[in-house]
Amino acid sequence: MSALLALIAPAFHALQTQVPAQAPQGRNIVGAQIAIGSLFSLHILIAGLVSGAAELGPAIEFLGYVRQRRNYDRLAHGLGRFITYYFSVSSTIAILLITVLLVGFWGHFWTTIVTIGWWPLFIEAWTFVLQVSLAYLWYYTWEPMRAFKGVHMAIGGLLAVASFLQVYMIDVIASYMLTPSNPQNPVRLALNPTSYPLTVHRTVGNLAYIAFAFGGFCAIRYLRAKTAEDRRFYDWAGSFGLLWGVSMTLLQPVVGYSYAKEVQLHSYGSWYKMMFGSLSPVFLWQITLLGIMFLTATLYFARRLRTDEAPGSGILKLLAVGMVLTTLLAAQPYALGFSYETVAAAGLNRPFWEGGLINPLGSMIPWKVLALMFYTLIAIAAVVWYLRGLPGVVWGTARRGEQRILMLMTVFTMLMMVTMGFIRENSRGPFLISGEMTIQGQQNVPTPTPQSSP
Amino acid sequence: MAHRDPRRLSRRQFGVLGTQVSGAVVAVLLGIPIVGFLISPLFRQQQAVWRKVGDISGVPDGEPTKFEVSFPLDAWTAAEANLAVYVVKSGDNTKVFSNVCTHMQCPVRWDPTLHQFLCPCHGGLYDINGANVGGPPPKPLPQYVHRIDGTTLFVENRFTEEI
Amino acid sequence: MRRRLSAAYDWFDERTAIRSLLRKGLYEAVPVRGAWFYTLGSATLVLIILQLITGIFLTLLFVPSVTEAWQSLNYLKEHDAFGAIVRGIHLWSAYILLFVIGLHMVRTFFSGSYKRPRELNWVTGVGLFVLVLGMAITGAFLPWDQAAYWTAVVVTNIAAYTPFIGSFLRALWRGADTMGPITLSRTFGIHVWLLPAILFPLIGAHLALLRKHGEFGSYINYRGAYKSREGVDVPPAPAQRPIEPPYPAAPSEELWAAPLQTEDFYPHQTFKDGIVSAALVVVVFILAVAIGAPLEAIADPATTNYTPVPEWFFLPLDELLVLVPQQLIPLVLVLPTGGVLLLLALPFIDRGPERNPFERPAVMVPGAFAVLFVVILTLLGSGRLFNL
Repeated sequence: MSALLALIAPAFHALQTQVPAQAPQGRNIVGAQIAIGSLFSLHILIAGLVSGAAELGPAIEFLGYVRQRRNYDRLAHGLGRFITYYFSVSSTIAILLITVLLVGFWGHFWTTIVTIGWWPLFIEAWTFVLQVSLAYLWYYTWEPMRAFKGVHMAIGGLLAVASFLQVYMIDVIASYMLTPSNPQNPVRLALNPTSYPLTVHRTVGNLAYIAFAFGGFCAIRYLRAKTAEDRRFYDWAGSFGLLWGVSMTLLQPVVGYSYAKEVQLHSYGSWYKMMFGSLSPVFLWQITLLGIMFLTATLYFARRLRTDEAPGSGILKLLAVGMVLTTLLAAQPYALGFSYETVAAAGLNRPFWEGGLINPLGSMIPWKVLALMFYTLIAIAAVVWYLRGLPGVVWGTARRGEQRILMLMTVFTMLMMVTMGFIRENSRGPFLISGEMTIQGQQNVPTPTPQSSP
Repeated sequence: MAHRDPRRLSRRQFGVLGTQVSGAVVAVLLGIPIVGFLISPLFRQQQAVWRKVGDISGVPDGEPTKFEVSFPLDAWTAAEANLAVYVVKSGDNTKVFSNVCTHMQCPVRWDPTLHQFLCPCHGGLYDINGANVGGPPPKPLPQYVHRIDGTTLFVENRFTEEI
Repeated sequence: MRRRLSAAYDWFDERTAIRSLLRKGLYEAVPVRGAWFYTLGSATLVLIILQLITGIFLTLLFVPSVTEAWQSLNYLKEHDAFGAIVRGIHLWSAYILLFVIGLHMVRTFFSGSYKRPRELNWVTGVGLFVLVLGMAITGAFLPWDQAAYWTAVVVTNIAAYTPFIGSFLRALWRGADTMGPITLSRTFGIHVWLLPAILFPLIGAHLALLRKHGEFGSYINYRGAYKSREGVDVPPAPAQRPIEPPYPAAPSEELWAAPLQTEDFYPHQTFKDGIVSAALVVVVFILAVAIGAPLEAIADPATTNYTPVPEWFFLPLDELLVLVPQQLIPLVLVLPTGGVLLLLALPFIDRGPERNPFERPAVMVPGAFAVLFVVILTLLGSGRLFNL
């Protein structure tokens, strides 16, 4: 923490002497972008976990109460402990970002956004306060309120709601930056075209993220466990985390595709940059990584069942093969060059057997859409067959291989979060508010309009 | 009964058979007219009707202009259906489009800011030549069978291609 | 006086056996715990009957003709306040019925009420769901205003994407290749006669099956619920009631045979049913009076500035139509059809005896996914339409 502050201190001092009246020019921009970008990524990597834990923890506590299982309670308690440890870290970074970097570097943008999005930010601030108080309350009253589980679960439920509302308000601002709507009307502001897709996407994503994260964490703990009871718990918790993570992630292709559709309809330049322009290699990487994640999870399912000779391992191996094929399909590049834009500029937008650099199997429509559908269907089948085989599993007998897979999943998930954040923020460039405000502070910059689809 | 011929129907079997046959007779006599009634409109030929749309000399080049034409609704009614016609001129070429989207037959409209035909239902896009360039529509915008007498446009109540 | 009435009742009973009929009907055994959830079925029935009655009275004015449909409903709106309320009830009761039938399906899915011996109850229920959806869709065509006309165009066009027989199906419904008077007449006949003629006997079958096997209720009423709890004994089997023992149970399912505690259907369950149904009818009435049934401008096929907006229960399908690219459009037919087929096959896929939803995740989790997908598509669809 202090190291972070020490890093920021010189910048803070420099800014104190020269708060800009207008947007920065020239070479400052890249430095500022890198500083803000990396801090934001760090913030989201931690805050996503905290939000997810605040929503998933109470749900697990409730499930444990209904099923009368102690494991669930222990897991939820662990998630509560995680929140209390890491809440302050991510919020410190956020506050630093807002008060120092955003105000300092993009003052013109920040004042505009706070003026336009005053209500969402106001609600966000108060739900943040609520979230903090409830998180600590929920964790520290765990044992004292054992006899009043109903009340305790209600506190947890409120915490989940506060966390959701806070993320929703942030998403209103973030989505407004990408697809601005009428700012005078608060309802239109809150329901701008990408508001719903982003909120659903982020909420589901945060739940997946914390699940994969504690899956990996429990894998490490399992390998270091001393007692049989601990081994049983960490083995079960790792599997549980992966199950939840995959279940949430398989909802994402539909939401993600719909999100991209809204961006196409309301912020065409951003969409073009992501799908055909300079960010398209990163998008290709993202869709491939998604397949790798699903494949890794399916391999875990197959291995874990195999370890205890539970039925279903064979089918899961078959599903893993299907997932490999689907990932290979999704990983096909459309343009056999840097991007379609560069290939088209060189006049080579013909199939490669006609001397061009286009690979028709890599087109979004219909091939990648089919791949996304197959990701979802195969993942649903994998979850179902794993659940069917679970009664045959003896907790505490997992091998090292399964635990390594869990840790790998956590790394992949973090990679995915950073990739998506990178695409999101850079696709909007050079705008800070699409079509209205650039990084340079200019307004009325001409925006591209839909042409014939390549 | 000792010497009963097994090939002969017993009284019971006769009763069963009679019930089944009468049921079948009723079903067939009822079913044929009903099924015929349901599918008969499909085999009725639609009458070819030509209607005058109007004077298209004032249509600017490269700017789709909407006209309305009314065709008789089939069957018994005297009422007529108003349909939209888009006339697009580019040099000597005149195209006469219908505004029926080839995706779900929603009403398509020309959007000057996008410079394309837009279908509001599911975001389908067609360019000025009617080619389907965006969204889900699987085919280009349908064109009416038409003829131009001098500067007057006449349109028939069918498309150049079935959608 | 009392004796006179009693004597009259006896006279009637000798000729109609009304007493035993009432005993059978009213004093059925119902499980005690979770009873408020079991009111959803009767709420569905009440709303359907509301539809039947308001629908019958609407036919006393509505004319199913392309020129007069809108005129007759406009007349109702402008000059007949009570008639407009009846039409409002008909619309809002339809919307709420679709919502309640969804809740009823989720409840019975969750509680495992489709398991042996109640499989056919579920199958008839799915049939009823499809028929009610059909009623809602065909009813939406009838006013022949802009909303109705374009809904009809799009819905009949979906049928055209069926492989091989698509255009035939579309023409069968429309009565020609394009929309016209035959479409309205056919849809009216389907909505008022054909579908109800199938719907009401199926409701009868659904209720008869319910009576035969008894209301299953929820797992918490049965001995089986105690099986998975740590350190709790399974209670002994309950004694059979002298009147109406509707829980014959399959012999192999001792733990789920009969509820541990039951009460009389009348008045305990009917009280709860009555409260919930009455509350829903009150809500319907308030909506009918406050908002009423909208009537847009008369259908204009030549319009170029009207944006067709689907009915709310159609939003998931509409959002699919937006998302699915042109090469994969038949998927829009495959997914709902596949969904209905899966629903029909459910009791034959999930055949295990376990009724506790938390102990059968292999069925609950995909079911939750299906519900989540529909909810997410609805949210995304409504967001998109708001920003058009």
